Amino acid sequence: MSVTQANATTSSTCWSCRAATAGQHFCPACGKIQPLPRETDYFAFFGLPRKLHLETAELEKRFHRLSWKLHPDNFVRAGEYERDLSLDRASQLNDAYRALRDPISRVEYLLAREGMRKEGENKQQAPPELLEEVFELNESLDELRSARQAGGDGNAMAALRSRLEAEQRNFEERLREVDADLDGVFSQWDAAIDAGAGEAARKKLMIRMNELLNRRSYIRNLVANVQRELGEA
Amino acid sequence: MGRVVGIDLGTTYSLIAYWDKASGGPKCIPGPYGETLCPSVVSVDADGSVVVGEPARRRLLTQSDRTIYSVKRLMGRGVADVQDEVKIFPFRIDPASQNVIRVVLGARIFTPPEISAFILRELKGWAEEFFRDTVDRAVITVPAYFNDAQRQATKDAGRLAGLEVLRLVNEPTAAALAYGLHEQRRGLVAVYDFGGGTFDISILKLIATGEGDIYQVFSTNGDTHLGGDDIDNVLQGIARAEIREQFGLDLNRHPEANQELRKALIHAKHQLSAMPSVTVRFPLPEGGLYVRQITRMEFDAAIQPSIDRTMGPVKLALADAKLKPAQVDEVVLVGGSTRIPLVRSTVEEYFGRRPHAELNPDEVVALGAAVQADILESGVKNMLLLDVTPLSLGIETMGGVVAKIIPRNSTIPASAQELFTTGVENQTGIDIHVLQGERELAKDCRSLARFQLKVPPGPAGLARVEVKFLIDANGILQVAARDLRTGEERSVEVQPSYGLSDIEIEHMLEESIEYAEQDFTERQLIEARNEGESMLRATEKSLAGDQAAELDPAERRAIDAAVAALRQAMAGSDYKLVRTRIDELNQATMRLAELMMNRALATALEGKRVAEV
Repeated sequence: MSVTQANATTSSTCWSCRAATAGQHFCPACGKIQPLPRETDYFAFFGLPRKLHLETAELEKRFHRLSWKLHPDNFVRAGEYERDLSLDRASQLNDAYRALRDPISRVEYLLAREGMRKEGENKQQAPPELLEEVFELNESLDELRSARQAGGDGNAMAALRSRLEAEQRNFEERLREVDADLDGVFSQWDAAIDAGAGEAARKKLMIRMNELLNRRSYIRNLVANVQRELGEA
Repeated sequence: MGRVVGIDLGTTYSLIAYWDKASGGPKCIPGPYGETLCPSVVSVDADGSVVVGEPARRRLLTQSDRTIYSVKRLMGRGVADVQDEVKIFPFRIDPASQNVIRVVLGARIFTPPEISAFILRELKGWAEEFFRDTVDRAVITVPAYFNDAQRQATKDAGRLAGLEVLRLVNEPTAAALAYGLHEQRRGLVAVYDFGGGTFDISILKLIATGEGDIYQVFSTNGDTHLGGDDIDNVLQGIARAEIREQFGLDLNRHPEANQELRKALIHAKHQLSAMPSVTVRFPLPEGGLYVRQITRMEFDAAIQPSIDRTMGPVKLALADAKLKPAQVDEVVLVGGSTRIPLVRSTVEEYFGRRPHAELNPDEVVALGAAVQADILESGVKNMLLLDVTPLSLGIETMGGVVAKIIPRNSTIPASAQELFTTGVENQTGIDIHVLQGERELAKDCRSLARFQLKVPPGPAGLARVEVKFLIDANGILQVAARDLRTGEERSVEVQPSYGLSDIEIEHMLEESIEYAEQDFTERQLIEARNEGESMLRATEKSLAGDQAAELDPAERRAIDAAVAALRQAMAGSDYKLVRTRIDELNQATMRLAELMMNRALATALEGKRVAEV
């Protein structure tokens, strides 16, 4: 699917007055709420280009403006069909806002929609360049666990703790690097959209983003594990 | 169409409010006793008729086994969920009940929605009396942390009471609406709602937009089984243990005295909000007097665990909103339990600011419901509530693990689509189990519903059914399925895990209509008896006065006969007869009243000069 296609709306006619609706939320002729085409793109729903850097204040403003119009509150006195349409559109609005307001869920949505979000074949496997550090971390975690089981004397435990905390800080730094890398690819993606780049160029960027996302979720799990172990110790 | 109202269906009290056009604000509607608070108590008479509110509360002391309070705690719950509470409740649960609790009250058996419907119908009656018009639509409030089944049960109660439920609104959000209207607030608001049986915390933002004010809830948390009731239980537990120790008396054998004790302790609790110490004096059923001084300090220590339990949800809600306590601009206190000084100081200390409690904490939720009712009814809106679902929605996958499909604190309505297929050849159905909760395993989450998608037999993986899970603006789940190969919409028969089916509700509706007449009769009888009672007292007083001597013997005999006839009628259960006898007594005492009037006039004129008259 091309970007321009995703932005363009499916043209159709109003269920009530048969006027052309151009896929808008409301019929431009009679003002009736329109059925939601299946698989409506979240970016298109907000009338936004499929860029990954987006102004959250602007997104929020659009979210609020659309909420006023689409919320079921407006349709309490309408017929059942219109009430259903409002429920459909309003839920889609909220789903779309939830997905787009956060940069990570935004890129995950984009990739999933393009069929490009592929979790690593083995999510548990460490990225090769991190192997050594992960190995050390796991060793420290094992030591902490066995020290805890053995009742652990205070000094040894404290030393282990501070070692783990240092390792945790290291991985948190790695996480920031991944986020910075992602941010860089987002910029390339946005530039590619502006330039109307071809399928191949975009696909390459998406593959890169997918890799970074996998790496990110791997490190995040690691950090969460350490936090949990430190919390228990 | 009739009127629209807002109803706070509370654990201990319920209220009904409306939008008063004249004053341009919401107002609570008083009942026959002039009170806006209707005790959420329902009592069933020996003949099966039902009494609600204050008269029912009085029966807690005399007919505790056929009188139910705090029914909200049973809404949308199974028997296994309420084992602990059932021990304290004086009424009985039908042993045959399973996923919907059935309460035995005298000779009749009710589900919690039916009992709640009695309360709603009573309030509806108050409003109809007040408007001299029918009331047929309502916004009803629920604890923000209510799950799907508890919400559905509340909606069912509305339907059983003959009300179209326009919307279920979360209690803290309703309170925020009332406060926002009152104070024109902006910014981040935390609503701490500690009621009779439930605790909620909601974090929301009030945003001014070109179209009007948006109340956007960021996060909500709570405990649907934590409230003033728990504090009462703690006090009652202490007192009962002491009575057992000091007097060797087990109050379990005296359900009425037990209720009496609870009432005395609740009174003490209320007093302790204003006084440093109170003394409870409780005469025991087998003789003896239990005297107990309770200091504020001792009270605080006893209830500290309950107050501490509220702070867990507060912290979780803030974390979900990604906020620190100091970032909250305003804190609002709602619910009767926030009158307790320890609650106020705990909240104030945590947020580092004095909480708002300007509006009556008992009424504010009902007032907010009335605001929302008006918004929906009038179509003229300058306010919009964007609320969230309190719990994550998930489906059970392989190995009993839950896959979350709609995360908690998602703005509602919210939806998620999932694709299902067959795993083995010629499989004809796909079983789906929907759950609510934050835990990883299905067994630790709340089961909402199970259903089976029918598919035509074929090779594994051929069938492709898309299921849309949608949480509507009431926080209630709707499910729709679609066969992707044929594009056909599929109807889904969802069997709620804890709740009534449509057929059961239909049946109850029929039954309630049957009983409605009887309930109406009961109410009429009570009112007629009360009137007869005051009539008899007035007559007695008149007959004791000087003017009675001026009656001739025939008149006196007529009065005595009418009094006897009224007494006899009041002992019966025909309210029409009571009314007739009241009228007859009125007739018979006409001359006596005249005599007394003359006398009163004469007294008033005494000592006054003619010119002054």
